[in-house]
Amino acid sequence: MSIVTRNVLIALLITVALLGTVFYAVNYLNRERVAELGSIEDQISIDTLSLDTQFSLLEAAPCDSAASSTTLTGELTDLGNRLSYAESQLGSDNPQVVQLKKQYSLLEIRDYLITKQLAAACGTKPVIVLYFYSNAGDCSECDKAGYALSYLRTTYPSLRVYSFDYNLDLGAMKTLIAVTKVKNDLPAFVVNGKYSYGFTSLSDFEKQFPKGALATSTNL
Amino acid sequence: MMSPEALAYPFLFIAIFFESFVLVTFLSKPARTARAGQSGTATPSVAVIVPCYNEGETVAKTCESLLALEYPKDKLEIILVDDGSTDNTPRAMAQFATNPQVKIIRKENGGKHTALNAGIAATTAEIVGCLDADSFVESNALRELVPCFEDEHIAAVTAAMSVHQPKGLIQHMQNAEYIFGITMRHTLASVNGLYVTPGPFSFYRHSVINELGGFRYGHQTEDMEMALRIQQAGYGIGNAPHARVYTKTPNTLSGLIKQRTRWTTGFIRNITGEYRNLVGNHRHDALGMLVLPCALIAIFSGILLFSVTLFMFFKNLIAGLEIRAGIPLSYVLVPHSSFSWFYFPVSTFLILGIATLLASFSMVIIGKRISKTPGNLTFGFLSYALLYGLIVPLWLIRATSDVVFGKHRGWR
Repeated sequence: MSIVTRNVLIALLITVALLGTVFYAVNYLNRERVAELGSIEDQISIDTLSLDTQFSLLEAAPCDSAASSTTLTGELTDLGNRLSYAESQLGSDNPQVVQLKKQYSLLEIRDYLITKQLAAACGTKPVIVLYFYSNAGDCSECDKAGYALSYLRTTYPSLRVYSFDYNLDLGAMKTLIAVTKVKNDLPAFVVNGKYSYGFTSLSDFEKQFPKGALATSTNL
Repeated sequence: MMSPEALAYPFLFIAIFFESFVLVTFLSKPARTARAGQSGTATPSVAVIVPCYNEGETVAKTCESLLALEYPKDKLEIILVDDGSTDNTPRAMAQFATNPQVKIIRKENGGKHTALNAGIAATTAEIVGCLDADSFVESNALRELVPCFEDEHIAAVTAAMSVHQPKGLIQHMQNAEYIFGITMRHTLASVNGLYVTPGPFSFYRHSVINELGGFRYGHQTEDMEMALRIQQAGYGIGNAPHARVYTKTPNTLSGLIKQRTRWTTGFIRNITGEYRNLVGNHRHDALGMLVLPCALIAIFSGILLFSVTLFMFFKNLIAGLEIRAGIPLSYVLVPHSSFSWFYFPVSTFLILGIATLLASFSMVIIGKRISKTPGNLTFGFLSYALLYGLIVPLWLIRATSDVVFGKHRGWR
């Protein structure tokens, strides 16, 4: 075997080994990301159940649990951001991402229901936004709407924004769509029960909010 | 649809494979023996030809560095060829007229290859070499180089080139690139894979030049054409990594692009023309099966990857601007994701890109060490990492377009 042939074979082995190691390392990191998402979801699931139970126990004074509800919403937002990042890295059709997204949507619906119950019991008037999007390539304005909502949520912490993938194959999701009667004309928004479809600009979108809802930034 | 990233993987694979081949070959016995230092006491007669066209500023210094070479004076001849200069080159040459080692030839302007041929015709030395009039040599360079000719198979020998007193980012970048080239040239020479005998201090066996005919126009790359002709005839091209030569390089972007466009068009025209039969030819082993195909792929992939990167950059930029339109800048300009390993943007493409860059850096460091090239490489590394990938595609695109549309540019 000539020295060139031998070196070509060694170089090929090195290249394949290097590529294999890099692919494995990136996959490992992605698996770790999914595992972290799973553990965050488990924690939030326990928190949600705890809050639910707290709410049932404190029927006489349910408003005491309001503070922990706000904390939970913050955690949920962070989880949403991480899930969205994982989705962009692994692809929206990745089975683990889809599974985590279903769990996340369930948690969002639970939080939404608790927020509504607390509002009714304590007489508060939180601004609740239900945002329906699609990332199946049929919603050109969804990225823009999502970014605008991130801005609003950061600027006005009292806002409760719940984002849902309209096409998610989940029983509770279908029921939510049926109950809210949101049409498949995305992006779709339900702001305190008021419906709007499409997104043009932030200023137009802000007009959908109740008067004074975006006036100040309050920390509930 | 295939993602642009996926399009890049085959080329990254080839780049990593080629760099691995170079590093493995560098550690192999022939290269180790070559850099251990040639032993030899033979001092064949040598003529160094300095072709000049309007090199009045530098030719005297170049000639002085040749006169300072540690080599028996009666065996070393310096031939200054004025190729019809219109500046003060004749006056600068005249100061060496009385030196018995120096011969001065004046001729009508005919191009570098004609100047070299005039010099070759004027000597009977066994070894003839060339030193561009903008280059300078270390005093031991010839002593390091001549022993390579003890191998009868070797018809030409190249030196270890770096940039003469680099200034500014463009020259520092070229210095890192030239020193990278020292490793490349030294390693590929050990498997006879060289296809250029650069103007600064390359030497030829006079008998082989006589056999193959003198220098030709070679699509403005007479040094590449001669090297390819030597390879085609079945001879070998060696390298002396300790023979240091310093050359002046363009200090402006436009000058650099012009020079490299000339080199690249010369390469494409030679390789797709007269020397097409070398590519993929197993008789030429490393050169035919690996070096030339990889060099051709590098031109194509450089253009493709640059175009894809540019397209993706502007696509993402436009999408990013559209998404952020109407949102206050106080929010847009501040990063919002938390600092966590979770968001570390690691991808196969990124890691392989970094691995390729690190391998290139290691070759620069190796080149500096084996040639003992002096100077600090910090600016070289910085400019190489930041600029090189952005600048190279400019001359690749220009050269390819010149070849496709049959455009011919002037030398300067």
